[in-house]
Amino acid sequence: MKIEKEPISGQYGKFKIDGIDYRIYWEEAGQGIPLVCLHTAGSDGRQYRALLNDKKILEKFRVIVFDMPWHGKSSPPENAQIQNYKLSTDFYISQIMSFINGLELLKPVVMGCSIGGRIILHLAINFPDKFRALIGLQSAGHLDPYYDISWLHRQDVHGGEVCGGIAYGLMAPTSPESDKFETMWHYMQGGPGIFKGDLFFYKFDGNIGNEIKKIDNSKCPIYLLTGEYDYSATPEETKSLADTIGIEMIKMKNVGHFPMSENPKEFLKYLHPVLNKIS
Amino acid sequence: MFKSLIEKNEKRSQLSMMAQYLNTCFMISTIEHEYLVNIEKGVVKNVEEGPFVMPSYVFKLTAPKNEWIKFLQHTPQPGSHDIIAMLRRKVLKFEGDLHPLMSHLLYFKLLLASLRPAESKNEN
Repeated sequence: MKIEKEPISGQYGKFKIDGIDYRIYWEEAGQGIPLVCLHTAGSDGRQYRALLNDKKILEKFRVIVFDMPWHGKSSPPENAQIQNYKLSTDFYISQIMSFINGLELLKPVVMGCSIGGRIILHLAINFPDKFRALIGLQSAGHLDPYYDISWLHRQDVHGGEVCGGIAYGLMAPTSPESDKFETMWHYMQGGPGIFKGDLFFYKFDGNIGNEIKKIDNSKCPIYLLTGEYDYSATPEETKSLADTIGIEMIKMKNVGHFPMSENPKEFLKYLHPVLNKIS
Repeated sequence: MFKSLIEKNEKRSQLSMMAQYLNTCFMISTIEHEYLVNIEKGVVKNVEEGPFVMPSYVFKLTAPKNEWIKFLQHTPQPGSHDIIAMLRRKVLKFEGDLHPLMSHLLYFKLLLASLRPAESKNEN
């Protein structure tokens, strides 16, 4: 039987992050300009499967997606305990820089969604010279809590069910159900407390106030794209962020919080012109 | 407005499987009207419309009628497409013991969304 093979290859490697060894899994495809993609809170790199299969992108870009520690196929560190996971801004930056340095990537483009869309702002503030460009999907400078996230990790509530239920609503009703299901499925497979631990960064530690004004778009071009159905990082919030930086934002119709996986066809229509500008 | 939760039961056999251990009674309020929804093993057994003198329920979802109408469109607009989206806009309030709701969050989202018309009409 002939199977349809994808151009994606996966690898494991040990990376030292803040002095501790982590076994990290990543996937990549294509060649050219390195494009490192950051997945959302509580999910993993499978969210970028459409990019890793997009012939047009792979002609010019080496698309690389790693699973954050504790996520997907990347392991927790040795001697880790459940309950202890909390993503801080410093640790998030450290893992990204360790990954980029470990693979010896020179001036990559980094694209992140949600928490990834937030961390690229921190990268723009702290290391603008290290990147060719930064792309924020569903980026907002800060987020005030609007539901009680303790529900995401309680022993009397199935974590996969509740995290999936939360993720499902963040997608557009117009996105294809099969893609929405897969996006939700990734959430249903997360480890206990990991989504909640990531949200510590998203709703508390990683909030940026006036520091946004330090972002200099001339040092490193920033592109911001947000789906109209996202109520976590709304298009209005991205617009306010873009105004502060002094750039235009792109509002994507018919998608929500997970453009790359909930409706890749629609998302790629918006992403291709951005990548053309960068290349 | 929510009485038809009963009529749609047959089309929701898959959905009921998602909540096969759920027995609860919750209230939906449009502020002017109240509906008590009784669920047994994931199946809507009864929807009673108020007014009530001493209603007993586990949790309550309250939003103005116009917000529920927006939620129940075939293709709701951003911010009206999900109950957490409505919570975020502060037009929907969750009250009471939220354990049955949060432990079956997707079920309740799909249960309420099952009232949306299958075909798109002029939604203006």
